[in-house]
Formats: sequence, C-alpha cells, structure tokens
Amino acid sequence: MSALDQLREPALTKRGLSDVTVVPRRTPATWVRGGGLTTLLFLLPLLFVFGAFSWYPIVRTVIMSLQHTNLVQPATWVGFKNFEQVWHDPLFPIAVKNTAYFAGLALLFGYPVPLIAAVLMSEVRKRRGIYSALAYLPVVIPPVVAVLLWKVFYDASSAGAFNTVLGWVHLGPYPWLQSQQWAMPSLVLESTWANAGATVIIYLAALTSVQTELYEAASVDGAGIVRKVWHITLPQLRGVLLVTMILQIIGTAQVFLEPYLFTSGGPANATLTVLLLIFNYAFGNSLGGDYGAATALSLMLAGFLAVFSLVYLRATRSWSTR
Amino acid sequence: MKSLRRIATAVGLAGLVAAIASAAAVGSTKSVTISVASLIPGSTQAAVDQFNARVAEFEKANPTIKVKPVDYQWTAPTFAAKLAGGTLPTVFEVPFTDARTLGDNGQLADLTPYVKKLPYFSKYNPAVLAEGTDAKGQIIALPKGAYAQALHYNRSLFKEAGLDPNKPPTTWAQLRADAKAIAAKTGKTGYAEMAKDDNTAGWILTTVVYSLGGRMEVGTGTSAKATLDNPKTIQALNLLKAMRWTDNSMGSNFSYSWGDINQAFAAGSIGMYISGSDVYTNLVQASNINPSIYGLSTIPLAKNKTAGVLGGGTEVGVRPDANAAAKAAAVKWIDFFYESPLVSKAQAIANAKTLVANKQPVGVPALPLFNKQQYDLANTWIKPFINVPLNQMKPFLTGIFGESVIPEPEASTQSVYHSLDAVVESVLTNKNTNVVQMLQQANSTAQAAIQQGT
Amino acid sequence: MTDGEGSTGLISTAEWHKRSVRWGIGGLQALLLFALVVGGLGPILWLAKGAITPTIDTITHPMGLFQHGTAWSNLKEAWSTVHVGRYFWNTVVIAFGSWASQLLVATTGGFALSVLQPRYAKVINALLLTTLFVPAVVLLVPLYIEIVHPPLIHHSLIDSYWAVWLPAGASAFNVVLVKRFFDNLPREIFEAARIDGAGPFRLFRSIVLPMSKPILGVVSIFAVLASWKDFLWPLLVLTNPNEQPLSVRLPSIQAQTSLGVFLAAMFIACLVPIAGFLIFQRSFLRGGGLGGALKG
Repeated sequence: MSALDQLREPALTKRGLSDVTVVPRRTPATWVRGGGLTTLLFLLPLLFVFGAFSWYPIVRTVIMSLQHTNLVQPATWVGFKNFEQVWHDPLFPIAVKNTAYFAGLALLFGYPVPLIAAVLMSEVRKRRGIYSALAYLPVVIPPVVAVLLWKVFYDASSAGAFNTVLGWVHLGPYPWLQSQQWAMPSLVLESTWANAGATVIIYLAALTSVQTELYEAASVDGAGIVRKVWHITLPQLRGVLLVTMILQIIGTAQVFLEPYLFTSGGPANATLTVLLLIFNYAFGNSLGGDYGAATALSLMLAGFLAVFSLVYLRATRSWSTR
Repeated sequence: MKSLRRIATAVGLAGLVAAIASAAAVGSTKSVTISVASLIPGSTQAAVDQFNARVAEFEKANPTIKVKPVDYQWTAPTFAAKLAGGTLPTVFEVPFTDARTLGDNGQLADLTPYVKKLPYFSKYNPAVLAEGTDAKGQIIALPKGAYAQALHYNRSLFKEAGLDPNKPPTTWAQLRADAKAIAAKTGKTGYAEMAKDDNTAGWILTTVVYSLGGRMEVGTGTSAKATLDNPKTIQALNLLKAMRWTDNSMGSNFSYSWGDINQAFAAGSIGMYISGSDVYTNLVQASNINPSIYGLSTIPLAKNKTAGVLGGGTEVGVRPDANAAAKAAAVKWIDFFYESPLVSKAQAIANAKTLVANKQPVGVPALPLFNKQQYDLANTWIKPFINVPLNQMKPFLTGIFGESVIPEPEASTQSVYHSLDAVVESVLTNKNTNVVQMLQQANSTAQAAIQQGT
Repeated sequence: MTDGEGSTGLISTAEWHKRSVRWGIGGLQALLLFALVVGGLGPILWLAKGAITPTIDTITHPMGLFQHGTAWSNLKEAWSTVHVGRYFWNTVVIAFGSWASQLLVATTGGFALSVLQPRYAKVINALLLTTLFVPAVVLLVPLYIEIVHPPLIHHSLIDSYWAVWLPAGASAFNVVLVKRFFDNLPREIFEAARIDGAGPFRLFRSIVLPMSKPILGVVSIFAVLASWKDFLWPLLVLTNPNEQPLSVRLPSIQAQTSLGVFLAAMFIACLVPIAGFLIFQRSFLRGGGLGGALKG
C-alpha cells in the first residue's frame, strides 16, 4: 500500500460517535440535537482558516490568471493573454531550463548520497545517534542563515574561505557565484548540505524497519553484502525511494530562497528559476506588479507538476508493488 | 467556542485599531499626526538621535503636529509591496525616476496649493521642480536632494600604487590605466562597478554611456524609442570587458549592489567606483569609513558635445489618502526638514549643529535644488560646521559645475535599467559575451516596457 | 531504532567477524563520520568562530584561529546595535502564534473529522487531500492580495502578525497527520466515556488531547521549526523592519554591518534551533522519519 493509499483510506471502518444512535428523520432540530452544531463548531477553525487562506486563494489564482489586475482600478478580463505573455517572455525558457537544471543537479547530488550514508549508518553498532544528530544538524539551521553563511564561504577572491582551503591542495581559486557556469552548482551544493540530512533520517527509519529475517535467509543462501543490498534492501525501500524522489522534484521545482539570496537570479539570469520569475512579475517593479502574469506562471508550474506527478505515479506503480 | 471568541476578538481589535488610526488622520482641530520616512534601517544610533532631535525641534515649533518617524529605505521590490499594502508613511521618498509616474497614477497627493505658499517657491531650479510635477501640471513631490554621479576613489590605495591622490583620472583611458596600476601594485580591486540584478547595474552602465555621449532613449512617454544598443553603449561595455578580462583590474566580486559596493569601498578593498555624489553620508552612517581615504572626483567625460553626467535625485511625496490637515502638516515637515536648511540661515545652522553633535556628516556635496546663488549662500552658512574632508573632494567640486547634468531616461526608467542588468553581469562573468546581441535583446525588452508604460 | 543500538541485520554477525568486512565497512563508516563532522558540523563551528573573531581577521584569514585574539564585542554589538534581540523576539512571537494557530486547527479539525465524523467529512477530507498536493506557489500571489485588501475587514493586514499567524494554520499535512493519529486511538475509550455522559467537548479536552501528546509534540516541533525558517511570506507581508523576524532582517542589514558582527547575529539566530534540536532530538528524528508513514 503506498502512502497515497494509506492517506486515502476512509475511516468508515472505525466506528464514530455518530453511528451509535439511530436518527429517524433529519430536521434542523435533530441535527442540532445529534451534535451537528457542536461538530460544526469544532470544524470552524479549520473551515475558516482553510477557506480563507487556502481554498479561496486557489480559486482566485485561476481567476486572476485570466485578468489584468493592478490594485488601483478594478480587474479586467483578458482571457489567455497573460499565459501568452509569459510564454513569449524571453526569460521564461531561461527560467524553465534553470529550474530543470537545479532539480536535476539536486537529484544527482542529493538523492544517492543520503541513501549510501543511511545504509552505512544503519549498520553502525554503537552510538548511531551521533551520526543521526550530525546529519540532521544542518537541517535545523534556518535556511537564511545557511545561505548567508555559504555566501561568505563562496567569496571568489583567493582569500575566500573555500578558496583558501582549496588553495591548500593547490586548487582554485574558483569564481563560485560570480560565474555563469559555477553559480547554479554552487547553489545546489549549499541546498544539498542544508537538506540532505532530512532525507538520511527518512531512509534510516525505513531501513531499520526491514525485517531481519529476510537478511538472515539471504545469508543462509550465501548472499554477500552487496547482493543483499541489491536484492533485499533496495526492493524493500522502493516505496520510500520513489516517494522521496517525487517529493524532492516537486520541492526543487519551486526553489526560491537560494537564487534570491545568493545571486538574485544572476549572473545574467544564470540562476533565474520559475519561482524567482513569478516573484519578479509580482513584486519586482517598483511601480506595481503584473499579477496576471505571476498567477498565470504559477498555474503553469502547478499544472506541469500535476501532470508530472500523475505520469510518475503511473509509471512507478508497477514497480512499487507489494 | 473559544476559537470563535478568539476570532471575533481579533476582528474587533483590528477594526478598533483601524478606527483609531483613521480618527487620528482625520485630525481634530487640535492636533494631527503624520508618519514620516526617517533613516535607512540599521543606521547608527547617532544618526537616529540626530533625526529625533530635529523632530523635537519641529514639534516644538508646531505644537499641533505630531511626527512619527518610520525607518525607510526605497528599493524597487519593497516599495511596490508597501505601495500595494498601503503601509507607506504619510511622507515618503521616491527616486526622480518614479515620482512622475506615481503622480500620474494617482499615487501621490496633490500638494500644489500648499507648495505655492512656500516663500522660496520661485527660487526652485525649474528642472528639479519638473521632476516632481505630473503630466497635469500638479506638484506631487518636492525634491529632497539632487545628486550627480561621481567617481569615488581611495586615496591611500592611490598612494600605495604610486599614483597622485590629488590627480584622479580625467579620461577613461587614464581611469583604465590607474585601475590596472592599483590592481597590480596593491592586489586590491582597481575599479569596481555595480552589477546586481536590482537595476543598479543598468543605472551605472547608463552613467558610463552618458559620459561617453550616448543616450538610452529618444523622446518621452509611451512613444519614446529605446536606443540601448547605440555605439556608445557598445563602447562602454567593451571598455568594461577589457578592464575585466584583459587587465584583470576589477577584482573578483561582480554582484555588488548600492549598499555592498559602499561597504567594500569603506573597508578599503576598492580603488575606484561610480555612484551618486552624496554616498559619503552612507559611508559614514553605515560603514564607519576612515575619512582620510576618501576622494571624490568627476567622472571622466569624453570630449564630445553630448557627453554629460547623469543626474538623479530623491523626491518627497505624500500619500494620496492624506486629508487636508495631514497634507498641510506634511508640507510643513518637508519644508522644515528637507528644504529650509537650504534657504533659511537659521534652519541651516540649527540643522548643522544637530548633525555635528551626533557626529553626522555636514557639507556632503550635492547639486543645487535652487539656483546657484542660493546654493553658494547656503554653503557659506554651514561652513563653520563642515566636517567632511572637502579638500579631498576638490576635484569634484571644481569640476562638476562645468559639466552638463543630464536627467535619467524619462520613460520606464527602472525597466530600462533592469533590461541592462543582465548585459553588464554577462560581460563581467563571461569572457565570450556577444555584446551586440545581448544589447539588442535588452533594447526590445526595454521598448516593450516603454510602450506599456511600466 | 534510528537513534539506538543494534543493526538491521544487513550484515550478519558472521560477516562482521570477517576482517575484510570489518575493516571495509568500518572504514567507510569512519569516513562517513569524518565527512559528517567536517561537512555537517564544520560550517557551524566556523560560524561560531567567526562570531567572536575580529572582522579583519575573518576577511584576511578565514581559516585562521584567533590570530589576533577574540572579539566578544561582536556578540555584544550584534545584540545592542544591530538589535538582534528585537528580531529574535519577533521570531519568537511569530513562531508562537503560528504554532498556536496550527495546533488549534489541526486538533479541532482532526477531532471533528475522526471522532465526530459528520456526514460531510468525506468532502472535507477530499478537499484537504487536494490541498496537500497543490504546490505552495499557487497560493502566493492571491494570498498576498487578500492580505493587502481583505474582503470583509477593509483594512490591510500588512505589517500585522495576523498576516502570518492565520495562513500558517492552513497546513493540510498537520490535519492529516493528527487525524490519522486520532483514527488509531481505541474507540472503546470513547464509547466508555460517552456512556458515562461525556459530551464532545469533554471528550476532546479530557480524553483525546491527553492521549495525543506524542503527535502534538511532533506537530509542535515542526510548526515552530517551519516558522523559524520561514522567509518569503514574512518578507512580503511584514514591511516594517521593526516587526520582521530574523530570517527577513538578516539579509537586509548585511550591507550596513561589519562581517564579524553579522556573523555574530547569524550565530545568535541559530542558537534556539540548535538548542531545541539537541534537547528534543528524539522527537525531531522520530518525526523526521514521518513515523514510518512512508513505508513500503
């Protein structure tokens, strides 16, 4: 059962309070007497908060993407003009390419390495806690502090922190954030440092729930460590691996903080991502934002992620069987 | 139940606050409260004290007006947010580039009747006053200060490189040579230029292009024609390219913004850079610069008729939803705080005294808001209080009045700058930048923005 | 088992006895530990060092160690001049409000959906699930506009902490997590309580909440952590510098602050998350594993 199924599983099999009494005819009075008002009261915070700050904005995004809005005059309907405008913006393909590049690099650096680390950690006999704590420590550092700290590390002069260390082994100095080639990988490196620890912990939890008997049986059959990892560990982890992959892709597709704080999308738009482009549309012009373009691009991104997720789930369903 | 009550209380409180706020703004005949832009957040305590001292003086002279200082810094993204959110103080500042468009869009209050009553109204430099007049002829902002772009240089780095600190470069060729010498002999950046995506890269490039004789636009309003890809721009970018890649005299940081480059300069890592003539104030207030290293000169101008110095400035405007009492109070504050030190001897001296008492700079070079006689007169008033190294700024003070000051591109200024940002960044970070192609792309982006009036 | 002893059995005891395995795997583990210390702990230790080193030393010799003595004044200056204390307090206040908002919505909502089970629960569950899969970017602009021009209040919520607290409560993940926990509570206890005459409020307050301490702990930790880390939203809605949390303020003051003091301010910003992590490690790591929710 995938995570999705577990979440979708209805609670009908559990008996709730309302099943205990038999209600002959439903009227407002019976509703109130049956505890309907109380239930509603309990739900009020959820309904208010979600209604006002989640569901209503989602609807508004769709509406605003079809309008021209400036906050002074009433909005006018412009059909798909916003979408066309975004599509024809020369920055749009650049942002898409950069976002894909970031997501791809992040997958490359941040996906296999935590797995290897977790497998090694799962076999640590004594004081595994130290490994876990060290791995997770960067995750609790506020992301803004992490980025600003790494910005100092990435000083491109030969006296910069990283360049000094690399200089000890006669490497560098490297331009890091000051180069169109190096900027994005620099961002991914910091992002991996800041986030990989969470993935390690997730993998570790999954690894330690693999049944020992499976390994014992394989050992009896003469399988070595590598074969055990390949034929037992990885298949057992399939579900986790697939879910973390899609979650990581969805997360990195919306990356904003690193490009914004490290480079403002530069140099020369080398680190301009889709989220940063949306931000610039909405908040970049000192005379007022283009909210139509911003919401149109948001929907395009969300639509793409939805389609991608569906394709992904369909493709991996056969591989994630149980 | 509890949650309902909590929400009801919150809504009620918000409403109450709103009611009180509007009541205060409506202003009984007794007193009116206005909020005013004060200093950049993070300014030194001394600077804050000086500002508060001036507020106290104003409130003493105008007992019916209460002034509330609000930390304020204009940057393109945050201003838009404040404007949309309606959280600007009553009196706020915007650059010349935005003032007229904001006025045309109804986002600045009409101050004409109050301004015309000011005793020195006729003495305003017409070009400066025009920056705060909208298309309908209404005065929607008053000038806080005007500046000309200038060349800031580090005198001690000059000395260390064997250059004469009293003879800063007067031609671009000389500037290039001096930068090379500084980089070679001191290991520090010879010449640095702003290159961040927040329109500062385009602003400085435009400055350099003006000094070579080029222009970014022809015409005004939405029918203006973008001329970003003119030969002088190409020349400016090629010069930058040469300094960066051939001479290697531009250091290793190519993402400076206005604040960063000031900070780096004050720390002694930059030999020369271009910025507004008034940044010395920021160098003191934010970065504690050692005054002896500071030198100020004019930007080298090419020897042709169209070469000039880009001039800009800051306007002070009032929120459009301010009522009559608030507008009158706001203009009184603008008069007291911004204008009177330039036109009234008593105010000039009072202002200078509080600045000195709080160790703030007095006498930083600026362009005249009024005519030149007024400017010279005002300078004689504050002469005894001047605490900035004026003799180190001589090259600028003697040179600037012989140069023509050219206003920034009129139409969609910030968008024009923004489309140039990527070109500058690319030249500085990619040796093989196709300058002409990138400029043509920037030009069409700018043209589109001009036509839409954004 | 994440923090404990023992192993998964991947490497049997017999294999451990083999020298090649012991040295090989052990070597890799030692390498990993070294990498974790240098890579994970290293930057944070550098930050601590930089916080008490004079700026000029950090700039010229970043990898040096107190070559010209320490500069504890950096910390003092960060606290008093840069007012890190004020932004720290703002962060605390914002975190507290967001935590309260999330806890309120998740517990009351989860209780209603799981225990009271109205007929329309299915609809709400479906809506929540959809929300879970909508990327946050979709909400950004309209939510901002809604804060600027709220429909009923006619007074902008910009620069008010409510603009951060209220939307924070709309976390479908929290509601789902809490609801599932409630689903797993034994129903017999509810039956017994109801027979004893307990109404829904009593049930909620005296039975369900006390039994939910573990999940509430996890939700709380993540609520506080998420709030501490939040950047874009407070950047947009809190334009008054005096109200901004550390995450928003730190980047803005960089150009006005010398490096040593700036590093000290950043270090102070890390203290609460790091301290919280060290104290509540078990809950962090258990929650980080998502309670096995992603198994299989």
